[in-house]
Amino acid sequence: MSKGKMREEEIRRIIRADDEWEPVGPTPMPNLTDLRNWDFRLLDTYEPFYAPFCDLCCLCTYGKCDLTGDKKGACGIDIAAQQARWILICSLMGTAAHGAHGRHMIEHLIEKFGEDFKIDLGSQVNVEAPIIRTVMGLKPENLGDLRKAIEYVEREMIHLVSATHMGQEGSYRDFESKAFHAGMLDHVALEAADIAQIVGYGLPTSIADTALVDLGWGAIDVKKPTIVVVGHNAVTANAIVDYLRQHDLYDKVEVAGLCCTALDMTRYDSGAKVIGPLSRQRFFLKAGLADVVVTDEQCVVTDIPQMASEAGAAMIACSDKICYGLQEASAMAADDILKAVLEEQKQFLILDSEKAAEVIVRAALALAPTRQERKKIMTQEEAALVSAKCRGTCEACNRACPNLLPVNVAINQARQGDFAKLGSVFLRCIGCAKCEEACVNDIPIQKVMQAAAASDTYKIRAGRGPIHDVEIRKVGSPIVLGTIPGVVLFAGCSNFPGDIDDVAWLAEELARRKYIVTLSGCAAMAASMRKDEDGKTIYEKYIPEFDAGCIVNVGSCVSNAHVVGAAIKIANIFATLPNRANFELMADYILNRVGACGVVWGPYSQKALSIGTGAVRWGIPVVLGPHGSKYRRLFMSKKEASDWNVIDGRTKQVVNTEEPTPEHMMLVTETKERALVTIIKQCFRRNDTPPGRAIKLNSYISAYKQVIGGLPDDLQNFVRTEKEIPIVYKREVIAYLKEVGWKPKTVLSLPTLIGTYETKVPIEATIK
Amino acid sequence: MYAADVGPQYEGERIRKSDFHVEFGGPDVSHKGELVTVKGLDEVEHDKIIVTGPDIKDLPEGSSNRIFIKVDVAGEVLEKDLEAVLERRVHQYINYIEGVFHMAQRYDIWIRIHKNAFKKGLNSLEEIGRILIDLFTAELPVIEKMSIEFVTDPAKVEELLAEAIKVYKERDAKVKGLREEDVEEFYGCVLCQSFAPTHVCVITPERISLCGAINWFDGRAATKVDPEGAQFAIPKGNLVDEEGIGYDTVNQVVTERSMGETTQFSLHSALSFPHTSCGCFEAIVFYIPEVDGFGIVSRDFVGSTVIGDPFSTLAGMASGGKQNEGYLGIGVQYLLSPKFLIADGGYSRVAWMTSTLKELASEEVPEDLLAKIATEKDVQNVDELTEFMQNAGRL
Amino acid sequence: MASEFMTTPYYKVNILTGTKAAKVVSEPTEAASIIDKATNPLYVFGAEVIDSPVGDRLLIDYALEIAKSRDIPICATAHVKKKMMELGVRPDSTYDIIEIVHFLKDKSWAGVRGKGFHDLVLFTGVRCDLAERGLSTLKHFAPHLKTFAICRRSHPNADFALPVIPKTEKWRVYLEGVISELGAV
Ligand code: SF4
Ligand code: SF4
Ligand code: SF4
Ligand code: SF4
Repeated sequence: MSKGKMREEEIRRIIRADDEWEPVGPTPMPNLTDLRNWDFRLLDTYEPFYAPFCDLCCLCTYGKCDLTGDKKGACGIDIAAQQARWILICSLMGTAAHGAHGRHMIEHLIEKFGEDFKIDLGSQVNVEAPIIRTVMGLKPENLGDLRKAIEYVEREMIHLVSATHMGQEGSYRDFESKAFHAGMLDHVALEAADIAQIVGYGLPTSIADTALVDLGWGAIDVKKPTIVVVGHNAVTANAIVDYLRQHDLYDKVEVAGLCCTALDMTRYDSGAKVIGPLSRQRFFLKAGLADVVVTDEQCVVTDIPQMASEAGAAMIACSDKICYGLQEASAMAADDILKAVLEEQKQFLILDSEKAAEVIVRAALALAPTRQERKKIMTQEEAALVSAKCRGTCEACNRACPNLLPVNVAINQARQGDFAKLGSVFLRCIGCAKCEEACVNDIPIQKVMQAAAASDTYKIRAGRGPIHDVEIRKVGSPIVLGTIPGVVLFAGCSNFPGDIDDVAWLAEELARRKYIVTLSGCAAMAASMRKDEDGKTIYEKYIPEFDAGCIVNVGSCVSNAHVVGAAIKIANIFATLPNRANFELMADYILNRVGACGVVWGPYSQKALSIGTGAVRWGIPVVLGPHGSKYRRLFMSKKEASDWNVIDGRTKQVVNTEEPTPEHMMLVTETKERALVTIIKQCFRRNDTPPGRAIKLNSYISAYKQVIGGLPDDLQNFVRTEKEIPIVYKREVIAYLKEVGWKPKTVLSLPTLIGTYETKVPIEATIK
Repeated sequence: MYAADVGPQYEGERIRKSDFHVEFGGPDVSHKGELVTVKGLDEVEHDKIIVTGPDIKDLPEGSSNRIFIKVDVAGEVLEKDLEAVLERRVHQYINYIEGVFHMAQRYDIWIRIHKNAFKKGLNSLEEIGRILIDLFTAELPVIEKMSIEFVTDPAKVEELLAEAIKVYKERDAKVKGLREEDVEEFYGCVLCQSFAPTHVCVITPERISLCGAINWFDGRAATKVDPEGAQFAIPKGNLVDEEGIGYDTVNQVVTERSMGETTQFSLHSALSFPHTSCGCFEAIVFYIPEVDGFGIVSRDFVGSTVIGDPFSTLAGMASGGKQNEGYLGIGVQYLLSPKFLIADGGYSRVAWMTSTLKELASEEVPEDLLAKIATEKDVQNVDELTEFMQNAGRL
Repeated sequence: MASEFMTTPYYKVNILTGTKAAKVVSEPTEAASIIDKATNPLYVFGAEVIDSPVGDRLLIDYALEIAKSRDIPICATAHVKKKMMELGVRPDSTYDIIEIVHFLKDKSWAGVRGKGFHDLVLFTGVRCDLAERGLSTLKHFAPHLKTFAICRRSHPNADFALPVIPKTEKWRVYLEGVISELGAV
């Protein structure tokens, strides 16, 4: 479907093409097929890897269709395309969640401030929206422009959703190209949503050392009236903070959050507290510590109304995405709602955020005095008692556990008064409650686990939003030369395969090797849950700058945009390549020259999938924890056997670099040890200079020796010249290379994929 | 392999007072130092490591001790001029050792050995010597022979230090006095071509690289050590442009290496045929037409310059590896060069600079001249700057 | 033959939603004969082999004996290599689990010892949910090979799987049975 003249005109109008901040590149507001050739070029080297979850398809009434062997569905689809279709569907869910979130946030702020409300991210950030600039060709100036970004996402999504219908797309490669499109749109939505809340709520921007805020159960003074907000959209949470401030109640009421709403609330006000990531939702709510539970949207466990009423807490839903069958009460008088809440324990949906805030605060104040008795965590004695019937033999709990934990042993030992094992199970528990549901003796396992959980307080740095243009200038050169070995983003949820603090371990191993480490969302929270011998978390120990050996919390899930944005800014600000409507040019630059890697160690939500899929289209490889295998799809090369041809920008000739960098675009690793060496490897880039590659190889070898043992047996793929052999390991490596018959490879200073496939981008554009 | 793990990943380590087993040098110790000396091939016994005085294991826990590290190297192409460059590697490589930190240089050094490292078996300076020799010779094959003596005997430290101080002084005098006129070679660097494809850096004794990382001595060392690397020698050739300070050989090399994009460099001008800027510059010189003078802003300056643009905007104009008249990226040490923008009039042409840069320049530039240069504390915009200049009698 | 088709694995997350299930290999003799029939087998070790005790030995000790009996090449995934080297064995490959599965899909791949595609791939000690995904990949995309999950938790997506063996003692007996059968063949 090529664009018609009228559509082209329309696009020029939307992006104000006549504003000449940069010439408009080849792909303003790309549609489903505009970037397809780039996608296919990626897929040629990084083949999709499918792990079907199900042998069947049951999406239409011709089915169920068995897709095993050579069999096809009644509609003709095969097992690979069916997996890719699922990926597209799930990516779309993620994109829709962020897009709708952005839409709601932006509309709310436009109501408040008007659509001309200016975007100003402070003195340190000139390139305010690198993703929107690159993808759309629009330089957003006000809230109205951010709405345009969401409208673009919406427009594309309708076509993408349509392609998932039976009898539409039939090729897995095209499904993947569409999933890439969904992922890229997701990033547009993320950026629009976060910029909107930064300017609308005055969240931190243009500063690096944001406040250190409290995280963890220990941080929350449940003796005070306690309000707990759950979800990802801070509109109501911020209204609660406003209400408390206006009524001079802020020091009398605890406001704490679970998931990203919590993170965004601490950006709004550093007195707010973070209870923890998603995996802690049920624990906290079941413990009855909240007087009022408030839900907004995304990753909210759907049985909250039931948990709240069991705990005798009030519950208010605030998002049109999550209505729970409740009565919408925006039109009612606050007094009347409050009366029903307090006297009948009635739960409400209140879409008017200010009214909701008033009801929530007043309910908390009224309820707290009556609930002191219920706000108690089970003691170990009580826990042993309720576990009395367990003999640890039926193992129904274990079999139900999606994180494969030895619940039986832990409960059986707790029964006998030993809570050590249960404590360690708790650290790995993803909070799903399946064990409890399965228990043949109805043991309230989650409550029992609370008795074993430490109620500690940790420090996390409030999310700082965009990376500064000057920071980019400073690190641009060492990143592109390879002397800063990489930029790593830890994003995603908290269904980690191992302990909750494994992210902290990974972050620290990388930071001390001088990587730039950034985190967001639940991963940022989990990373704070580990202290060194001085009781310090990584946020207290490391400098919060975007620089070598530093650790930065960018913010909530929507803030992920800023890390992708930083990669674009390196090409745009630092290397001065134009980014306007120039997706391929930017992605090619990142893929070949910016050693960035995304890590989703707890890959749970569909949002994390769309973020990751989008990252791949930008040329940023993604490493997933084991649960990521359940997304069903990865992107991997065949190492040295794949196509590693590039064009040498200097000579414009095709050159076979013979080196698999980056080696894969999306893969799962089983253990944190393997994750560490894989992340390090995924930061290699073809453009690394010999000294830069030497530094990267040094990290690789040192980490490999530390956690896997011996020299890596793929060194011959990554050492291009002898100069790149790290001096510390020189003798050993030379001996090894001799043994395997290594030969030197070409080192290019301007490698590009542009020109190796059909594209509108001229090779000259990559050199400038 | 060694008693402690080794690698650049340990470089940032800090060891606190309560954690060190012993320390050498530092503020509590009056005499300490390190010196690298290039000697003749027959004067150095390769691989010899000696400890004169008590070793780590002999010293009481928690003690602060005198030390002098005496490194002798020899090699066909090594020369005296490289000693300072090699000495900095002693600092770097000692920091590679897990559980050991090294701070400062020359007569100021400070070394701590962590308790854990000691427990793991790092109980002799010999081991550190072993590591140093291995790293030096692996990285710098031009070092054919190397020996190290760690002296902890207090009297001997004092003696060696007195000698070394003379050497440091001589070196400083030489570095300070070195002029473009005194040397036969300049150095070029094209490392940054991977993001600024047509950029070439020319480094002279009076012009440090714009990234600030490579001075003339470093350039010299790099070309000796790694002739195939990104740095290369440029024979000085003839001064073909006396006013702008341009050399024919420099122009040739620049033409070649920039793929024809740039054909002429004035080494000390921001206005005509200026040196190109890749993007790594520590500071930017920018021309302000209203006062016919320059502004200078450094990368860490927050806020707007006198012409209203912040560093990042100016950086966008200056960078990219193309000649931009009126914009010049520089390393901040260039502010102290005797040839600083000499073709344009030097400091007499500077109208505005950030207060931190002015502070730095005051080391070299006469007080009365500096007083006539405005900073962000004096003026906020070009109108105010014009007024300032008029009051200073410069307009 | 005591074979039957699998219904329920130990872990509910691994329950089969589909039509093609593993053959359950209840007897060590049968397991040994499957291994014995292979012409170019491969053994994939997962991270759990190094920390799962079976009686007073580790799972890796048994897996190594099985591999040794037929000189089966070993792919040490995750960080298994470290332990193997301590035991004095060099793995033939150190691809991670997903990487080795990716290569196994490809019939034209030379295999870890360059002898062509592997016709039988044994798995032990891979994290159960991840193993199940990889087995599904091979079930659907690698018709040229058979998979055998030597795992007490059982894997429906494999071609051959063990029954669920809850008791560690029985697990030990099974493994020893396989080893002695292989020794006897
Ligand atoms: S969509 Fe196709 S494969 Fe799925 S049930 Fe319908 S006909 Fe069968
Ligand atoms: S709540 Fe925790 S222990 Fe229980 S099944 Fe879920 S993950 Fe496993
Ligand atoms: S299901 Fe219940 S009774 Fe059975 S082992 Fe688990 S906790 Fe114990
Ligand atoms: S800025 Fe520094 S690294 Fe870059 S080319 Fe110049 S001297 Fe070389």
